[in-house]
Amino acid sequence: MENDLQRIREEAQQRLNALTEEGDLNALQQQLFGKAGELTAILRSMGKLSKEERSELGAGVNKLKQELEAAMESRRAQFRQKAQELRFEREALDVTEEGVTPQMLGHLHPMTKTYRTIRDALVGMGFQVFDGPEIELDDNNFTLLNLPLDHPARDMQDTFYINDKVLLRTHTSPCEIRALQTFKPPFRFLMPGRVFRVDEVDASHSPVFMQIEGFVVDRNLNLANLKGTLDAFIRALFGENVKTRLRPSYFPFTEPSAELDMSCTICKGKGCRVCKGTGWIEILGCGMTNPHELENCGLDPKEWSAFAFGIGVDRVTSLKYGISDIRHEYENDARFLTQF
Amino acid sequence: MRLPKTWLQEYVDFNVTDEEFIQRMMWRGFELESCEKELKAVSGVITGKILSMQKHPNADKLTVCQVDIGGKIAQILTNAKNVFVGAVVPVAYAGAKIGSQEFTVANIRGVESQGMFCSGEEFNLSEQEYPGAEADGILILRADTPVGIPIEKAIDREDVIFDFSVLPNRPDCNSIIGLAREAAAALGQKMKAPVIARVPGEGDVKDIMQVTVENGDLCPRYCGRAATNLKIGPSPAWMQRRLKQMGMRPISNIVDITNYVLMEYGHPTHAFDAACIREGHIIVRNAKEGEVVTTLDKKERVMDENMLLISDPQGGVGVAGVMGGLNSEITENTQTVFFESAVFKASNIRRTARKLRHVTDAAARFIKGVEPVNAELALERCIELVQELGAGSIIGGAIDVCHADLKDREIDVDVNHVNRILNTRLSAKEMAKLLSTIEVPAQDEGENLHVTIPHFRTDIESGIEADADIAEEVGRIYGFENIPAVLMEGETFRGSLAPKFRAEDLVKDTLVACGCLEMYNYNFTGPNALNALGFDAKDERNRAVKLLNPFGEDQSLMRTTLYMGMLDSAVRNIRRKTGYGRFMEVGNVHFDLGGDALPREEEKIGLVFFGEKESFYTLKGAIQTLLSRFGVAGARYVKSDSPCFQPGRRADILVNGQKLGELGQVHPAVQEAWDLPVAVYMAELSFEALLALWNETPTFQPLPKFPVVNRDLAIVVPENSESIHWIELIEQAPVDVIVEKARLFDVYRGPAVGPFKKSLAITFNLRSEDHTLTEEEIRTAFETIIRTLNENGAPLRQ
Repeated sequence: MENDLQRIREEAQQRLNALTEEGDLNALQQQLFGKAGELTAILRSMGKLSKEERSELGAGVNKLKQELEAAMESRRAQFRQKAQELRFEREALDVTEEGVTPQMLGHLHPMTKTYRTIRDALVGMGFQVFDGPEIELDDNNFTLLNLPLDHPARDMQDTFYINDKVLLRTHTSPCEIRALQTFKPPFRFLMPGRVFRVDEVDASHSPVFMQIEGFVVDRNLNLANLKGTLDAFIRALFGENVKTRLRPSYFPFTEPSAELDMSCTICKGKGCRVCKGTGWIEILGCGMTNPHELENCGLDPKEWSAFAFGIGVDRVTSLKYGISDIRHEYENDARFLTQF
Repeated sequence: MRLPKTWLQEYVDFNVTDEEFIQRMMWRGFELESCEKELKAVSGVITGKILSMQKHPNADKLTVCQVDIGGKIAQILTNAKNVFVGAVVPVAYAGAKIGSQEFTVANIRGVESQGMFCSGEEFNLSEQEYPGAEADGILILRADTPVGIPIEKAIDREDVIFDFSVLPNRPDCNSIIGLAREAAAALGQKMKAPVIARVPGEGDVKDIMQVTVENGDLCPRYCGRAATNLKIGPSPAWMQRRLKQMGMRPISNIVDITNYVLMEYGHPTHAFDAACIREGHIIVRNAKEGEVVTTLDKKERVMDENMLLISDPQGGVGVAGVMGGLNSEITENTQTVFFESAVFKASNIRRTARKLRHVTDAAARFIKGVEPVNAELALERCIELVQELGAGSIIGGAIDVCHADLKDREIDVDVNHVNRILNTRLSAKEMAKLLSTIEVPAQDEGENLHVTIPHFRTDIESGIEADADIAEEVGRIYGFENIPAVLMEGETFRGSLAPKFRAEDLVKDTLVACGCLEMYNYNFTGPNALNALGFDAKDERNRAVKLLNPFGEDQSLMRTTLYMGMLDSAVRNIRRKTGYGRFMEVGNVHFDLGGDALPREEEKIGLVFFGEKESFYTLKGAIQTLLSRFGVAGARYVKSDSPCFQPGRRADILVNGQKLGELGQVHPAVQEAWDLPVAVYMAELSFEALLALWNETPTFQPLPKFPVVNRDLAIVVPENSESIHWIELIEQAPVDVIVEKARLFDVYRGPAVGPFKKSLAITFNLRSEDHTLTEEEIRTAFETIIRTLNENGAPLRQ
């Protein structure tokens, strides 16, 4: 019997080595361990043996069975490994081929991107968004903003009129009047929208452009707050390294009035074509809201203070993306739009 | 406003560099527009002495000169007859420039010329400014002029002219004296203010001229003085030079005086030939409708009754504030001059100048604002200059018809309020000191600052704006740069976006995900574009708002739909072959409501698709994606009759029976009007309607507990039937199970289904709320659906 086991072991080992594919393993398994298998036959023949012989043989068979099963498992692993290698080889790709885009992705207009950047910066500083109509009352656009009919500064903003009382707003400042008439202070609003001026189209002028007005009304606002707010805002927009300066200017609806310059983002202040060699770029107009405007809207200027600023989205877009001709922004050429 | 440096130096010591001066003026609110050399058109021209002259071998009229230009001999050819050996002349040696002309070495008939000699005209010089400047030929410089020096130095034209932009609230700075006042403060000096010597004269002007002001509202002050025994001639060199520096042309001493004073004091004056004022009586009155005045420029000006006229008893002698009349012009024969220095109401002059389309230097000054005290100063300065120039004898007395208040205003300013506005801690004394530098006297009264507003500061108010106005002045001199940047304090504010703005982002982001490029089109359109869209007469989109002053007919209306702009941009992209055909725009349109009412503004979402890859269905797909993103279910696409679309290829988008928008293929007529070479599909949706439908926070729906069974079928239906009809039949079939998510996934047309027929392949789901469907239930339901379809004329495709 011992000899039989030894023979089976050797034969099985030989056959195992001779197998060429994984499927043949099952046949060999049947031949060894199946109902008519060789080891099964040996076990079945054990009835004739003594108890001691039986147990000795049984142990021998079990040992052989485990041994062979392990050998077959390892052979199976070999087959699988080999098969997988072949498959990998077969399925190998040219990784340098072009990727497949599921669908053409569109693009937001660069002005929308700028608008959102500005908006996010201000929302982060506690501002809420509010807006007003593009076609406005002369009262809201001029008179209540301290620009009565004969005010010379009306000439600063050439206006498209609909009739004596209605016009295309020349700035987003009439939103200040609407905010003052609608909400109780204190508040902080950012007011985006299109504005219109009688300006012939050229590389730096457009009769239609987009502005964002910032407007804060509270009890103890001062010029230092305006400066601090704008400095933080411009750095949020153009980066921490940008410097700002506030210099005196004039707007009828602010007193004191100022203009904010920022260090030129192109030449970093050294002087270039964009900043006309000065190292500074004029970026927005601002000021402490004129007491007349507050009084016109029913607020006591001794009790309430306010400041406002207006920034051109087109201009910031041009600066941010280095667009030299504003006309691109309204021509909607796909080769332009897909760059952003 | 131009400011020649030497003129400024009459009032202040210029003790810093030009750059530093420019910087300091900027901090005070005076931005530099330009800074140029006095002879900005000339560069590289130097002086040279003619050493020898020879006839040109091949040209009779030319002379070959050897010229010492300082350490170098240049050979210059000239045809001038006034040059001579030993003459010092200006040489435009090769490389020099005058205006757009650049001088180079030239070969003239075989002889080289290394440049040219220049005449006085090339340096804009008159005979008074440099003797010989108007000679026929070359400018012969003074014999002691060194050779090889720049011509600017040789003729003393080395000034620098600053040009500062003057803000509208500071009309006083549209004058040399006004700017000098600010410059002195910027340079930390006290201005050497000019003192006008009032010249008494002989006799009385009232004997030769009487002035009546009929409309004191439009003419608050009218001052006049006169001079006689005039010697009309050119003005002196210094005055001519100044006028040229300011960009003006010298004419004659009397006219030049008024222009000089206009620059110096910023107040327009006018010189009449007194003999031409009939009956010696000037009447300032409203013109009669249609009254005609011929102005100095020889043009006939037709007046209206709102315009102010300077007249004599027989008719107009000038348009007030705009231009004098030709009939009373100063000529070389004028014996007696009457100077007018008046104040006219800005708004009236603006209206007149605009209506006459003639905004003169004088009118521009009146429009920006002048003041009555300065009017008198300017007049006395004219008289003083007549005396100084020896241009005539002064007549005594003065005419002054004054309706204006000439007293300086006094205000009390709350020092604490000023400090609150500026975030400063200045005392009244410190504020007074700052204000004194710009000649605004103020007295320290503790918490009160008593300010006397000088006549020239018309911008400082005495009402509620006073504190802010003084704060601006104090801040300006203290320096905005010295005020710290401090973040706002106080209660916390929560920044946020209202749903409208969140929805706008979602629309744009969704359509971008659908492959769209975002457009920004102008709001302007014209009647041709609007008519081309062919809307029905009663369509609201025909009620466009009209502009009173448009650029032109085709931009005279405000858009009532986004279509026009989108089509314009589509054409542009097609012509330029940009290869892209999916665009969207979100923007406002306006509808006229009549009368003075504000128009109705509505925000729209527009889409325009074109090119080979696009179809009605790609457009619809983008819209469906958008609606799905907004959680809008149950939109119906119903055949429409919108005239801008091709019949049979257009639909309205309805949600709950309300129109949300429309889509379609552009009608051939529209396609032709825009000259579109390809089919274009476009849509417009109401943003407000979509916003109202937005389900921003959907409620969770439990997931089905029992398995879903999916079934497909293909039916044959008439070609002109709508798939939605069959889908609804399936979903509403009389079965005991839930039928849902029925969807068309294929359409087949061809011989297998026969003519005028199409085959629709539809997929749908079956399920139950409370158990797993049995095979029997599924079979029964499927058969019922098939039977229902069959009974309605849609047999299964064999």
